[in-house]
Amino acid sequence: MIMGPLARALDDRLRLSPITRRALAKIFPDHWSFMLGEIALYSFIALILTGVYLTFFFDASSADRVYQGSYAPLDGATTSAAYASTVRLSWDVRAGLLIRQTHHWAALAFVAAIVLHLSRIFFTGAFRKPRELNWLIGVTMLALALANGFTGYSMPDDLLSGLGLRIITSVVESIPLVGTWLAALALGGEFPSDEMIPRMFITHVLLVPAILVALVSLHLGILVRQKHSQFPGPGRTEHNVVGSRFWPGYTLRTLALFAWVLAVLFALGGLVQINPVWLYGPFAPAESSSPAQPDWYVAWGDGALRLFPPWEFRIGGYLVPAPFFPGVVLGGLSFVALYLWPFVERWCTRDRHPHQLLDRPRNHPVRLGIGVGALTFYVVLVVAAGDDILARLLRVPVYDLLALFRVLVLVLPIVTGVLAFLIARALRRGEAVSLGELTRADLRRATRPAPRRPAGEDEPEVPVRHRPGERIEMWPQGELWRWRYRNEARQLALTNNRAVTSEQEAVETARLAYPGVDRVVVPGPPPPPARALRVALRRWGRATAAGSLLVAALLGRRRERRRRRDGDDEPPPA
Amino acid sequence: MRRPRAVTLPTPHPRRALAVGSVLALAAGPVALAPAPTPTPTASTPAADQGTQLYLEQCASCHGPQGQGSQRGPSLIGVGPASVDFQLSTGRMPLSEEVPQATRRAPVFSADDISALVGHVSSLGGGGPQIPRVAPGDMVSGRALFAANCAPCHGAGGSGAVLTNGWIAPPLYESTATQVAEAVRVGPGLMPAFPSQVLTDRQVNDLTSYVQRLRSERLDRGGNPIGRLGPLAEGLVGWVVVLALLVGAVRWLGRRAGE
Amino acid sequence: MSRRTPSKSERAASRRIAAAFLVSAAGAVGFAVTYGLNGGTQWEGVCLAVAFAGLAVGLAVWSRRLVPVGGYVEEHEGFVPPPAEQAMTAAVFRAPESPTRRWGLLAALGFALTALGVAALFPLRSLLPWDRQRPTRSLKDTPWGPGVRLVDDQGRPLRPDDVPADTMVAVFPEGRIDVGDAPAFAVRLNPERFIRHPAGGHLGGLVVWSLLCTHAGCPVRLYLKGAGRVLCPCHQSSFDLLAGARPIAGPAARPLPGLPIEVGPDGFLRATGDFTAPPGAGFWSRP
Repeated sequence: MIMGPLARALDDRLRLSPITRRALAKIFPDHWSFMLGEIALYSFIALILTGVYLTFFFDASSADRVYQGSYAPLDGATTSAAYASTVRLSWDVRAGLLIRQTHHWAALAFVAAIVLHLSRIFFTGAFRKPRELNWLIGVTMLALALANGFTGYSMPDDLLSGLGLRIITSVVESIPLVGTWLAALALGGEFPSDEMIPRMFITHVLLVPAILVALVSLHLGILVRQKHSQFPGPGRTEHNVVGSRFWPGYTLRTLALFAWVLAVLFALGGLVQINPVWLYGPFAPAESSSPAQPDWYVAWGDGALRLFPPWEFRIGGYLVPAPFFPGVVLGGLSFVALYLWPFVERWCTRDRHPHQLLDRPRNHPVRLGIGVGALTFYVVLVVAAGDDILARLLRVPVYDLLALFRVLVLVLPIVTGVLAFLIARALRRGEAVSLGELTRADLRRATRPAPRRPAGEDEPEVPVRHRPGERIEMWPQGELWRWRYRNEARQLALTNNRAVTSEQEAVETARLAYPGVDRVVVPGPPPPPARALRVALRRWGRATAAGSLLVAALLGRRRERRRRRDGDDEPPPA
Repeated sequence: MRRPRAVTLPTPHPRRALAVGSVLALAAGPVALAPAPTPTPTASTPAADQGTQLYLEQCASCHGPQGQGSQRGPSLIGVGPASVDFQLSTGRMPLSEEVPQATRRAPVFSADDISALVGHVSSLGGGGPQIPRVAPGDMVSGRALFAANCAPCHGAGGSGAVLTNGWIAPPLYESTATQVAEAVRVGPGLMPAFPSQVLTDRQVNDLTSYVQRLRSERLDRGGNPIGRLGPLAEGLVGWVVVLALLVGAVRWLGRRAGE
Repeated sequence: MSRRTPSKSERAASRRIAAAFLVSAAGAVGFAVTYGLNGGTQWEGVCLAVAFAGLAVGLAVWSRRLVPVGGYVEEHEGFVPPPAEQAMTAAVFRAPESPTRRWGLLAALGFALTALGVAALFPLRSLLPWDRQRPTRSLKDTPWGPGVRLVDDQGRPLRPDDVPADTMVAVFPEGRIDVGDAPAFAVRLNPERFIRHPAGGHLGGLVVWSLLCTHAGCPVRLYLKGAGRVLCPCHQSSFDLLAGARPIAGPAARPLPGLPIEVGPDGFLRATGDFTAPPGAGFWSRP
C-alpha cells in the first residue's frame, strides 16, 4: 500500500496524527434530523461541480450573437450571447442540458434543504447559546443562496427571467430616497442594461460562491469546535455527545448520503425538464409570457406582491410605490426576524445558560406556534404566487382566488400557529407520546391556562438524575486507557470515542462527560470486534476492486476499439 | 364581447370528424381578406339545403333563423366563414349547456356538415374573414411572432393561461394549423384579432408552423415538462422529491427519536 | 455497541454491497457509452443516477450492516472558560507594550481606517458610468418626444389604418426598439364607450398607452378585446382602457401613462410629447 508511507511522511512533517485521531473520533448524533444540513451541503457541492462545467459554455454577455444550431425555431436568430450560449448548451453541447438541469434542480434542493435544516434548528432550539453565531451564519447563507439562485435564474437572459429581473428592479427602485440609485448602480443604468448580465455572472460564479464557501467552512468549523448538540435521552447530558464516530460509521453514512443526493439530482436533471429557456425565448422589453412565476424560493416575494393591495402614498410629494411594502419591507423584516430570533428568545425567556441538549419541539409551545405560523405564512405566499395557475386548473376567477388568499395569508398563520401551540401543550401535559395518540380530552385540557407557569416559558433544565445502576468502567488497553458508560437499568453501554494516554486523562474525560457517576477500573476490555468480519470485508473489498478493474479494462478496450484509428487512446490497464 | 349564452339544446349524436381543418382548407377557396366585405354566394344546392337544414335545427334557436342573433346568442351576420369553421371544428359550437366560456371538445358535426353550415352562414351576408389556407412557413419568424403576439396569453410554451373573470386562454396543443390561423384572423371570444394589416398571410403561415412545432414532444428535450407550467410546478416537484427521496433517505440512514 | 461474529447475514450484506458497487460501475459505463453515442439527456441522467445510487446503496448498507451504529460518547467540555484562563488572555492584551493601551494613537488609527473605508466606497459610484443620466431623470425620460414616429416591432412606421379595431399593436419610438421603458401599445376603441378620456388623447378612437404595468413594470400584453381591458401576466393587475387605463383589480395603483399622438405630414403616426407620467413601476419621485 502506498498510503502508509505517504501518511507517515506527511505526519513526520505536519504532525497530523493527534488532530486526525481526534477528528476521526468526532461523535455525530444518530438522529436523522441532523443530516438535513448535509443535504444542503451536498447539494451545494453538486452546484459547484455542475456550475463549473456550465461556465465553460456560458457566455455572459448581452452582445448580439447569431444562434446557429439544432434548435430550428432559433436557428439563425440574433439574440444576446448569454441566451444563445444557453440554448447552445441545451441543444448542441452533449450532456450540457443534463448538467444545466441538474444544476437548476440542485439549486432548488439546496434552498429546500436549507429551509428544512433551519426549521429543525429553530424548533429544537439548537440556536441557543452557544450556537447563536452559527445561526447567524446559517441565515446569511440562506440569504446568499436566495441571491445566487435569483442571479443564476436571471443570467440566461430568457423572457421569463427577464420579467423576474424587471420586477426585482422595480422592487429595489421602490425604496425611498436611495432605491433608484441602488438599482442604477447595480445595473449600470436603466433596466435592461448591457452591464447587467456580466455583473450577475461575476456575482453568481465568484462573489457569492466564494462567500458561501467561506461561510460553509466557518459553519462547519464552529460545529466541530462546539461539538454537536443532541436530543435528551439515556446517557445523554449537557456535558457529552452520544452517537456514532466519524470514522468509520458516520463516514460511510454521510458518503452514502452524498452519493444519494447526486443520484437524485442527476435523475431529476435527466428526467424532469426545468427552465426550458428555448421555449421562453430571448428577453425583449415589450414581450411577456403567462403564467409568469419565479423559482419557488423567491415566490413568497412574488406572492406578497400579488396579494398586497394597491396602496401607495406620498411623503412630501415623493411617491412610495406599492411594491415597497411586500417587496422590501417584508423581505427585510423576514431576515431581521430570523437574525434576531435567538436574541429575542433569550430576552423573553431570560435563559442565559448554554444548552447542549435540544428541546423537543413540544416543550416550547410558543416557539412552535410562532414557527408554524410563520412557515404557514410563507407557504400561503408561495401558493398565492401561483394563483393564476390555480385559477386555471380549478376554473375559478383569478380575482376570487386573490381575495381568498388575501384573507388566508392573515388568518391561516394564526389558525395553524394556535393549533400548533395547543397541540404542543396537549402533548407536553398529557401522556400521549405522538400526535396519533392525542385525545380530545388532551386538547381540551390544553386550552386551559397552564397549571404551573404561563405556557411557553422555558421549562427548567431537567438535570440528568444519576440513578444507581450507572457507572463508568475504565480499563487499560496496552499503553492507553479507555472507558465506557454503563447503565444497566436501560441496558446501555457507551464507549468513549477515543483512547486516551493515561488513567488520569480517562478519569478527567469521564468526569466531564458524566459528572457524579462512579468510576471503577475493570481488568480488561469487552470482547474485541470480530476479526472474521474484517477478513470478510477485505475479501469483498478485493472482489469489488477486481470487478471495477475488470469493468475499466473492458471499457478501455471498447474505447480503444472505437478510436483505434486516432491512436491517442491509452492502452487498457493490464 | 361575444359571450355565448347557451340553452340546453338536445345534443346531436356526436359524430367525430377528424382532419377537419385540412379538408376545409381545400374547400374554402382562395383566401380573401379584403377589408371590404364581400358576401360569398352559395352555389351548389344540395349542400346549401343541408346547411340550411342543419342551421335551423342546431343554431337558429340562439342565433335566430336569419342569423340576426337573439338574447341567447350573438348575430352571425358578418362573422365570416373562418369564425364559423373555427367554432364548429373545435367543438365549441353548438353549446350543450351554459358555460362562461365554450371549451374545446370533439366536433359535433362532420367535416361535410361543417362546410355546409359555413356556406349557409356566409349566405346570410356580411362578409368577414375567409377560412385561411395555411402552408408551411418559417419557424424562426414564427417563433418571434408567437413570442410577440401569442405568448402573453397562451404562454411561451403554448400551455395556456388564465385571464380575468374565469376566462382562460386555452392551450394550443390540440389545434390544427387551420384552426390556429382562423383564431388569429377572427379573434374568438376575448382574443384580439390579427387582420392582414397586422399579420400578413405569410406571417400567419410562419406562426402556425411554429405552433405545430410547439405541440411536438421533441421540444421537451429535458424530460417531463410538468405541463410546461413553469417554475412553481418545478418547485413543487423539487419539494416532493426532496421530502420523499432525500429526507426519506436521511430518515432511513439515521435513527428516529426514541430508537 | 455491537460485537458480532461474522454471521451469515453479514456475509449476505457484503454480497449486497459489492453488487451495489458493481451496479454503480455499470451505471458509470452506461453513462460513458450513452455520452459516446449521444444518447440524449434522459439516458445520460438515468445512467449517472444509477451510478450514484449504486454507490449510495452500497455505502448505506455497509454503514448499517457492517459497522456499529451509535454506542459512543464524547465528553463536552463546555465553553465557559475558567476565570484564570480568561484573565491570562486578557493580560496578554493589556501588557505594557500592548498597542491597546495607546488610546490616542488607536483613535487616530481608527479615524484613518474609517476615512479609508469611506474613500473606498467612492469608486463604487463608477458602477453607474458618469456619462449616463442620473437615475431618477433617466427613469422619467423616455425616447418619446415631439415628432418621434411610432413603429411596430419590425421597425416599420405605422399609419392610423395599421391599427384596426379588436387588436393590440405594440409600438416603439423609431430607432429605439430595445429601450426598456419605451414600449407602448396602440388600440382602436369606440370613443363613445369612453368612461374617462384617455390621458394622452386619442385620434378617432386610436389610443396609445405605455405597455409597462405601473406595479412592477411587466408588459401588460394580455388584451381582452371586447372588455377593453389589459391584464398584466406577472401579478394580474388589470387596467380598464375605456376608463383612461385605470387599474381596476390587482396590485397596481396608478393608471397606465398615455402617449399623446398625431398624424404627421407624411401620414405616419408620431408622438407629440413624452408619456403623460413616467412609465413602469413607481419610484421615489414627485409627479
